[in-house]
Amino acid sequence: MKLMGLISTPPGMRTDAIETTATVVEQVRMARDTYRLRLRCPDVAKRIVPGQFFMVRPSTGSDPLLGRPFALYDVFEENGALAGIDFGYLVVGKLTSEMSRWQPGDMVRIWGPLGNGFPTPPPGRLIMVGGGIGQTPFLAVSREASGARRYGRPARTISANAERLTLLYGVRSREYLAGLDDFRRDGLTIRLSTDDGSEGHHGYVTELLDEEIASDPPAAVYCCGPEPMMHAVSERCERACVPCWLSLESPMACGFGACFSCVVKVKTGDGWDYRRSCVEGPVFRADELVL
Amino acid sequence: MSYGPVSRLAVQLNRLRLANPILVASGTFGYAREMAAYIDFRQLGGVIPKTVTPLPRLGNPPPRTVETPSGMLNSIGLDNDGLDAFIEKHLPYLLSLGTAVIVNIAGKDEDEFVAMAKRLDEFEELSALELNVSCPNVTGGVDYGTDPAKTEAVVRAVRDTCELPIIAKLTPNVANVPEIAAAAAAGGADAVSLINTVQGMAVDWRRRRPVLGNGIGGLSGPAIKPVALRIVWQVAKAVKIPIIGVGGIQSLDDVMEFIVAGATAVQIGTANFYDPGLAGRLVAELERIVEGEGVECVADLVGTLSLPSPSCHFQDVASI
Ligand SMILES: Cc1cc2nc3c(=O)[nH]c(=O)nc-3n(C[C@H](O)[C@H](O)[C@H](O)COP(=O)(O)OP(=O)(O)OC[C@H]3O[C@@H](n4cnc5c(N)ncnc54)[C@H](O)[C@@H]3O)c2cc1C
Ligand SMILES: Cc1cc2nc3c(=O)[nH]c(=O)nc-3n(C[C@H](O)[C@H](O)[C@H](O)COP(=O)(O)O)c2cc1C
Ligand code: FES
Repeated sequence: MKLMGLISTPPGMRTDAIETTATVVEQVRMARDTYRLRLRCPDVAKRIVPGQFFMVRPSTGSDPLLGRPFALYDVFEENGALAGIDFGYLVVGKLTSEMSRWQPGDMVRIWGPLGNGFPTPPPGRLIMVGGGIGQTPFLAVSREASGARRYGRPARTISANAERLTLLYGVRSREYLAGLDDFRRDGLTIRLSTDDGSEGHHGYVTELLDEEIASDPPAAVYCCGPEPMMHAVSERCERACVPCWLSLESPMACGFGACFSCVVKVKTGDGWDYRRSCVEGPVFRADELVL
Repeated sequence: MSYGPVSRLAVQLNRLRLANPILVASGTFGYAREMAAYIDFRQLGGVIPKTVTPLPRLGNPPPRTVETPSGMLNSIGLDNDGLDAFIEKHLPYLLSLGTAVIVNIAGKDEDEFVAMAKRLDEFEELSALELNVSCPNVTGGVDYGTDPAKTEAVVRAVRDTCELPIIAKLTPNVANVPEIAAAAAAGGADAVSLINTVQGMAVDWRRRRPVLGNGIGGLSGPAIKPVALRIVWQVAKAVKIPIIGVGGIQSLDDVMEFIVAGATAVQIGTANFYDPGLAGRLVAELERIVEGEGVECVADLVGTLSLPSPSCHFQDVASI
């Protein structure tokens, strides 16, 4: 029997991803337990867009074994040409502890770009809500939205509107605030909150979001952070009829759709189904998800 | 259907002929499409897509995987869209890849296995069926792989309904794998795949909870390689059936260890997740090693492991 079915690539599957060895260029402390790692890997840098991620692992050894996902923070240039990527990370476990000891010149394995990334921002006001290390995807988003940089190949076109960009950024305590100077460079509005009141608003970042929605409703909200925070943000957006996108951090083993470990509940016509966050996400419209 | 030029890497597993002994393991290679950016499928001995069941299965609640020392636990729970969707959405793509396609199926009883085999037998471009009689993550079905009589019966029933070569994929979670392998051989299996994952568990003691959503799961990766080698070797000594070795392979040395222990072919599993180009590279490296070993073909190296002589063994023990 011969088959006549359609041979197609489902949405989100990256056909442009590559696996390569990258060289550590620099490692910079950003905040308490938080570092920025710069990797030379031009082929990934050329392709990646804001909200996408890549997997990183040591080039040898079997413990840690699997790659770990990290979001694009920014790309960087050397001699006028795109040379690689930066990512910010918080030390939480096995690989991130080891990573904090990586030195310039070390070789690591990387594969990407992976996932869908954030949609190109709609015209009008954009609010980005970052909780903890969940702020990392928003530097590239705001750099692109403000016209400071273009990403992807061919480069995506975005209408520049830096004055209409707001970052609401919440952390436990001021010593965890990371990358503020990077964000300030592009002239967006930044409002901070800390759980302990050591900087900015004393309380949750969602309280800042309430104020912003009440005073000047945005065209869209992008959010990344701990699950309870994303929950609260999507509830508020739903109430205010503001479209909201969440970047999920479901644990991943491969990052490219082969293992089916990263599934999240996505609404379907007649209920819900598990979908792979690494290929159909990590960015989902909040109202598509069963939270 | 066979692919690739006749070469010193070609292997024969009863009715199944493969261009080379490097396969990729079910559940670790998606439906191949996911790997297209990283690997040239035509290099491989064959691909085995994720287990298909008769009807769609949601799979287990997350977290579905967790890393453990040099390995990982998974409890995916055979998340798949069922046989109809597989035939419509995935099989056309798989059959276009220019490599052998071995479909891995699981049913909850003999009738389900037979019905699936009958459907798939219509696709003459398929190279073989692999019967997953060993998934540790599914409850409700009959646990074929732990019972020799049931293993033999299901293999025989499938053999009686279809023309495709049959591979039985066995579980290590039994006291006596050679006994189950002998039963599969008696039922008419062309080969056995050894091993599926080893049952295990990860505990988050602070939250008093298992880490996996399903509680327990299957261990894979380099951590289980010694278990897989031991089982391949035991079965090779006890049963005359070609063996496909699976478990923790991440380098050519690992491949060679399985081959000399008695495996005619191997499957790369967990390593696809962290080194997606590996399986393709291994084929090229294997070609070089076979040349270097001065043998006619890779098959000449299968099962060439020999035990140290018993007297020497006892001396060692005595001198401790
Ligand atoms: C799309 C995406 C993008 C991401 N982007 C970023 C980013 O830009 N920056 C960033 O810092 N992080 C990011 N993350 C999260 C990051 O991937 C994880 O923090 C990282 O994988 C941790 O690796 P590790 O080896 O250090 O921790 P692991 O040792 O793997 O542990 C991770 C966490 O799980 C817990 N854990 C692990 N195993 C067990 C166990 N057996 N029992 C109980 N608890 C366990 C640990 O306590 C720890 O809190 C992202 C995640 C996703 C999915
Ligand atoms: C995430 C994951 C999913 C798996 N799914 C299947 C499956 O659907 N069917 C199957 O027969 N084996 C499945 N396996 C088992 C592998 O095919 C293989 O037998 C096992 O992982 C040992 O090999 P490895 O250590 O090289 O991974 C799965 C393994 C993993 C890690
Ligand atoms: S991480 Fe493997 S399928 Fe998503």
